[in-house]
Amino acid sequence: MLEIRVEPRGHVTVVVIQGSVDGLTADSLLGALQKEVAGGRTRLVADLSGVEYTSSAGLRALLATVKDARRHGGDLRLAAVTVNVRKVLDLSGFTSILKLYDEVDAAVGSFGAADRAAGEEAI
Amino acid sequence: MSGLTPMGEGPRFEAARIEDLAEVMGYVDAACEGAGVPAEAAFAVRLAVEEAFTNIVKHAYADSPGPVRLELSIDGTEVTVRLIDAAPLFDPAQAPPPDLDSDWDDRVEGGLGWHLVHQLMDEVRHEPAPGAGNIVTMIKRLPSAAS
Repeated sequence: MLEIRVEPRGHVTVVVIQGSVDGLTADSLLGALQKEVAGGRTRLVADLSGVEYTSSAGLRALLATVKDARRHGGDLRLAAVTVNVRKVLDLSGFTSILKLYDEVDAAVGSFGAADRAAGEEAI
Repeated sequence: MSGLTPMGEGPRFEAARIEDLAEVMGYVDAACEGAGVPAEAAFAVRLAVEEAFTNIVKHAYADSPGPVRLELSIDGTEVTVRLIDAAPLFDPAQAPPPDLDSDWDDRVEGGLGWHLVHQLMDEVRHEPAPGAGNIVTMIKRLPSAAS
């Protein structure tokens, strides 16, 4: 089971995800994230505080979204990652390409005013 | 030594479709919880079962679905998982190596499943099943209760 809630926070969109990201639920996560990017909301924060499990299926969704968002001048940043999910991200080499923040507010704040500039490439 | 669950005894579960994944993982979670397996080890076992099951159903069976039998054996020292199928022979060691280092725009997602299984489990073995099919055995050792 996976619950996905989208919360606009100024020029950033927080996607609150709760549940288990696995081979059955990852597609719905990917669909929800891609819908945001397609709608021009490319500055995304995934609040993962309610996600205790992810498999490689979840990693696929995150990788596809971060590529999509960055190519459109935005980014997908992760917040409040739980210990087991963090371990999967580490083991998969994802912590070297994704930005992680302890708190959702910090992740939202990391998108500074400069990020509003159209077409600016995220680091 | 903890023996494998003998055929016809002990907990086992049969599945055939990717849609069965929820039940498969529910079965694994319940078995680990019932046996008091620590959360970290239970997470590893759950992930290993998902990745192996998904690979068998999606790749080994490909277009012609078939049965996968899951056997779990839990004792005080380790969790042993066996997945037995009737699919054409495959070898997890032949999975593409994972891309862990490329920049984000070149990063390829592939081979991460088996990579995670090898990282999170203490032992992963593959052998041909008698007659036809594959047996994947994955072992997670538990922290010593005495320590």
